[in-house]
Amino acid sequence: MLVMKNINKIFQTADIQTHALRDFCLQVNEGDFVSVTGPSGSGKTTFLNIAGLLETYTDGEFLLDGEDVGKLNDNGRSRMRNQKIGFIFQGFNLIPDLNLYDNVDVPLRYRGFNAKERKRRIEENLERVGLASRMKHLPSQLSGGQQQRVAIARALATDPRFLLADEPTGNLDSEMAKGVLTLLEEINQQGTTIIMVTHDAELAQRAKRTIQVKDGRVSELEIVSPQMNQAIA
Amino acid sequence: MLETGLILRALARNKIGALLIALQIALTMTIMVNAIFMIQDRQQQMQRDSGLDEANTFYLTNTVFGQDYNIQAHLQTDLHMIRNTPGVIDAIQINAVPLSSSGWSMALQHEPGEDKDAVGSAIYMVDEHAINSMGLELIAGINFTQEDIELRKDGQSTWPAKTIITKAFAENLYPDDWQSAVGKTVYISQTQPMQIIGIVKALQAPWNGWNGVERSMLVPFHRESKGSYYFIRTEEGRRDALMPIIEKALAESDKERIIRRVTTVEDTRKRSYRQHNATNKTLTTVVITLTLITGFGIVGLAIFSINRRTKQIGTRRALGATKRQIMSYFMMENFIISAIGNVIGCIGAVGLNMWLVSTFNLSPISFELITFGVVALFIVGQLAVLYPARKAAMIAPATATRTI
Repeated sequence: MLVMKNINKIFQTADIQTHALRDFCLQVNEGDFVSVTGPSGSGKTTFLNIAGLLETYTDGEFLLDGEDVGKLNDNGRSRMRNQKIGFIFQGFNLIPDLNLYDNVDVPLRYRGFNAKERKRRIEENLERVGLASRMKHLPSQLSGGQQQRVAIARALATDPRFLLADEPTGNLDSEMAKGVLTLLEEINQQGTTIIMVTHDAELAQRAKRTIQVKDGRVSELEIVSPQMNQAIA
Repeated sequence: MLETGLILRALARNKIGALLIALQIALTMTIMVNAIFMIQDRQQQMQRDSGLDEANTFYLTNTVFGQDYNIQAHLQTDLHMIRNTPGVIDAIQINAVPLSSSGWSMALQHEPGEDKDAVGSAIYMVDEHAINSMGLELIAGINFTQEDIELRKDGQSTWPAKTIITKAFAENLYPDDWQSAVGKTVYISQTQPMQIIGIVKALQAPWNGWNGVERSMLVPFHRESKGSYYFIRTEEGRRDALMPIIEKALAESDKERIIRRVTTVEDTRKRSYRQHNATNKTLTTVVITLTLITGFGIVGLAIFSINRRTKQIGTRRALGATKRQIMSYFMMENFIISAIGNVIGCIGAVGLNMWLVSTFNLSPISFELITFGVVALFIVGQLAVLYPARKAAMIAPATATRTI
């Protein structure tokens, strides 16, 4: 479970102080699929960075799986990112010099798995996203949709509790976007909690819950997707 | 966990930059190892024992210009005066000074005849005071006696019947048993017999670059020549004070000659090896400069590589890499590049050394020196990449989500 209470994030430069998040409160339960929407500069990415432990916050309380994130040092945050969080980035962020197999291998090495276990997880997850046959290919040899699938395989390889997606379909055409979203829904149905930042309203509606961020605050809470309601019904 | 395999595969797809640095390391290794080898070789040459008591000896030139000058009488008077100066241990007239770059050489052979093999040697014309005056160590046989000393006129082609040679010369003449040289008859000027009566431990020739520099012989001659050296040995610590005293005494005792170039043997050694020293300084500068250039090259490439991969590093951090793991990545990457460079460098160093050995008759490079070069360049590489690696480790994980 992810709990944020009154999180503030202030970016301070020599002359300017920017309040990116103001008393930001959110609870994400296990198995949720939450989409976070809002206009540019609303604080979506700052929220995602803090939720993903990529960035620290100025004050407030943040519990991830019951652990107080504010008390973790840099190594502790790295460990928690590796063990509990998977990331999907808008630009895929694959390492261009490594083939698909090695790309998925990266977080597994940081986890310290042995070669046999890493091989099993890499093959299993590339299989899961339908790219097992192309594991020796370089990212540049794949389409955008396929690259995002590899990124999803990499994110899932460590069995994370949370999958954080930053505009996961932002660089994809509509067909590829649908495919990626369907995959994310399948992953969510298998029990992984997903938080997805997007400014695509249609995409956001595919999530179980949608929250809107404006001026660094959660402006609307618990907008339950009608599609989901239908699905649940 | 070390990412050696991933680094190797990534490097294989980005060969140019890494290869250039590896080649730079290889070139540095090749030049550095051979330059150090040449420095060591010169250093060893400079540290060779001349056989002399260098700290307490000096010499001067005595040039006569007077007409009807009785050289023999003045020589005896001069030597008597010098030898009786308080603080002087002994003094001789000599035709040349070791390491002075100017001297005489002759050759000795086992059998008389023009077509017989002969071994070259520096020749010093001295009297029975030579061993004491030069601080030599007689290790076999006997010294000359006063009766052995002959007067040699300029242009004279006959030689005395006795000689004392160095151990190195004896080893050359009698490789199986150098001590057996004592009492043996050898031939000078192809036909003139000469008996070896003694062996001194060491006495270098005047020419430090000659490969027979350790081969010298003493012959019992006083020269009746208008130009000669007086070679003087003093008690410990009194040399510098006695040099002007003796110079003045000699100059005042006889106005028909000039006393010049009062010089210590230590100064002669310095002058003799001035070129060696200059070469060593140049080579040292080359080694340091090359090493620094290589170090800066590594820093430059690493910083360029890190700037190019900022987002990638942020992504690695986002995927769970600690700062230490990011640092290790770049240190390991540099280690691999250095290893490739060192392997090529070892081949280059040995190849260049083989050429030097065949061209300049040097001895082969030692394994220890190559090991030193490898270790030194690994250390330089790791130190050079330390700052860029730290810089990489400081890249924030949030960089992964930035779109620029």
